[in-house]
Amino acid sequence: MLLFTGKISVAQVPADSTAADSILLKQIEQQMQSGIQPAPQQARSSLSFNPDIGVIGDFQGSYISKGKRNFNAYLNETEVSLQATVDPYIRADFFLSFSRDPETGKYGAEVEEGYLTTLSLPAQLQLKLGKFREAVGRINPTHPHALPFIDLPNAYVNYFGDEGLNDEGLSLSWLLPNKKFYQELIFQATSGLSESPSFFRGDNNRFIYLGHLKNFFTLSDNSTLELGFTGITGPNDSSRTTNIGSADLTYKWKPVKMNTYKSLTWQNEFYFSRANLLDSFSINSFGMYSFLQYQLAKRWFLTGRYDYDQKPYDKKIVEQAYSLTAGWYATEFSKIELEGKTTDDNIDKRFYQAWLRWIFVIGTHGAHQY
Amino acid sequence: MKNKLFIFFISCLGILSSVKAGTIKVVTTTTDLKSITELIGGNKVSVSSIATGYQNPHFVDPKPSYIIGLSKADLFVTVGLDLETGWSPQLVASSRNTKIQKGAAGYVDASIGIGLLQVPTSANRAEGDIHIYGNPHYWLDPLNGKVIARNIANGLERIDPSNKSIYEANLQAFYKKIEDKMKEWKAKMAPFKGSKIIAYHNEWVYFETRFGLDVVDFMEPKPGIPPSPSQLVKVIKEIKADNIKVIISSPYFTTSSSDVVSKQTGAKELTLATSVGGFESIKNYFDLFDYDINQLTTVLK
Repeated sequence: MLLFTGKISVAQVPADSTAADSILLKQIEQQMQSGIQPAPQQARSSLSFNPDIGVIGDFQGSYISKGKRNFNAYLNETEVSLQATVDPYIRADFFLSFSRDPETGKYGAEVEEGYLTTLSLPAQLQLKLGKFREAVGRINPTHPHALPFIDLPNAYVNYFGDEGLNDEGLSLSWLLPNKKFYQELIFQATSGLSESPSFFRGDNNRFIYLGHLKNFFTLSDNSTLELGFTGITGPNDSSRTTNIGSADLTYKWKPVKMNTYKSLTWQNEFYFSRANLLDSFSINSFGMYSFLQYQLAKRWFLTGRYDYDQKPYDKKIVEQAYSLTAGWYATEFSKIELEGKTTDDNIDKRFYQAWLRWIFVIGTHGAHQY
Repeated sequence: MKNKLFIFFISCLGILSSVKAGTIKVVTTTTDLKSITELIGGNKVSVSSIATGYQNPHFVDPKPSYIIGLSKADLFVTVGLDLETGWSPQLVASSRNTKIQKGAAGYVDASIGIGLLQVPTSANRAEGDIHIYGNPHYWLDPLNGKVIARNIANGLERIDPSNKSIYEANLQAFYKKIEDKMKEWKAKMAPFKGSKIIAYHNEWVYFETRFGLDVVDFMEPKPGIPPSPSQLVKVIKEIKADNIKVIISSPYFTTSSSDVVSKQTGAKELTLATSVGGFESIKNYFDLFDYDINQLTTVLK
């Protein structure tokens, strides 16, 4: 037994080509002779070049107070993630999504995201190439299963749709040489083929361009503030231009020592859109949301959200909504959430919605943004 | 004008030369690695740790502000296995710093060569937060500190071979001090060999094995799952049956469930440090064991 232990522990001593090796070996021998045995050694789990694979299930039930079909239950989405480093220069991330088409009821597969990211560009640059969720503030880059509510803010859906601004092209990000706080500038150029309510790829060579400046301040050990600005310009379905400007502001409080038990997030985004529809006619509209999430205990989260939006096609229609979501996070790999929402606009009468969702993850899923 | 240009030129030179003669910038994930890096690197290194000593190393928030330090680091030291899997790979990938990517000369996995304990035979999350490579809390055995130090010295020598003799000398001094302290710690713990204790989370196995303690159960029914009423009942029975004197926990866990058990059984609650900086008096890797062993021996008496 002694021999067995000794053999393996010698084999696992870190490689060093110098005389220090033999000194360490001697020490290990001495230790073993003096009866202080190194802990039993075991081989590590099997290695492979397979990417990290994860599958996320999102099962939902819903209720709406208007219309004839009030209740529904469905597997909202099945997301398969495949992530790995390609070589010393790039890594690759794929997110494949399987979901039911609400119109036809048939399941379809799509590439939600699929992109490469460089690891070794000079001058603090990073290039992303492929299909990706674009850098509009805080909600758009986040996969819906990671959001603290089940529906999306009305203003956000007005401009970017249920799928968000998620398009094909390239993204170049630059980490500004600022020692005081984190500053990142992102430029994205995409084809516009993945349509969204605001943008449409016509029969020409006009693309969508996006710029985002992210500022992240550490206020104290326990609190941070993020302030971001985004500008987007691209062709719309009238073959003219839509410009969107947005700002995001997020305050987080998370006590370092007890960060798994208590936290608070206050997040806001404001969207301004100018859609040029005819030569002398354009519509300016505005929308925003603000939510406050409070962690009551290790597993319990409560999120209240306020939505305000003007419809981009008719800014006289003004909508306001309030929602409250309670979340029970069983582990890092499953959570159950219940959301109630009421929406009122100046045309139709008030209506109510509710959702219940259960998110469950198997395999390996990468960390989400802070 | 010429004068101003001259001053500018001189100050530029000053900046350049200070970089040249400057220290090696090291970012570590935890404070224990920071302490050991400082002991090996001496005045050749300036080290910062991402996690503090009083926070749960599994759940550090990957704040973008950490990327600033990582983007300029010459060396990155990680506990490895899958301890930091939820935060450090993402930060390192976002750093745009090729010197510290996995596989590069400036990437140090401190776990290389550690004799791992509790390596699971199957990976099944029904068992809670299990670690597929084995229990990652290995720095809590002082003799593993020697392996960590060797790995860090290797990293420093890879990127700064000109100072190799200094690192090797510091390494030998570190080995020597660990061995000396080990005698003292073992002597202190000797009367309590085989003492049964309860722990909050399964993070003491290396400490337990080295010092001959016997952690019979955990407050958590499974790693990462908060204490349940049935688990508390089980623990209370065990404490009464085995006359267990102490429940050990860490600064980043709530004490509410330990309070209940302590009240029911009279067992003492003891918050031990799991890392350097866990309590203010713990300034380096040696202080960590001094503190924990003093606390334990006082309670176990």
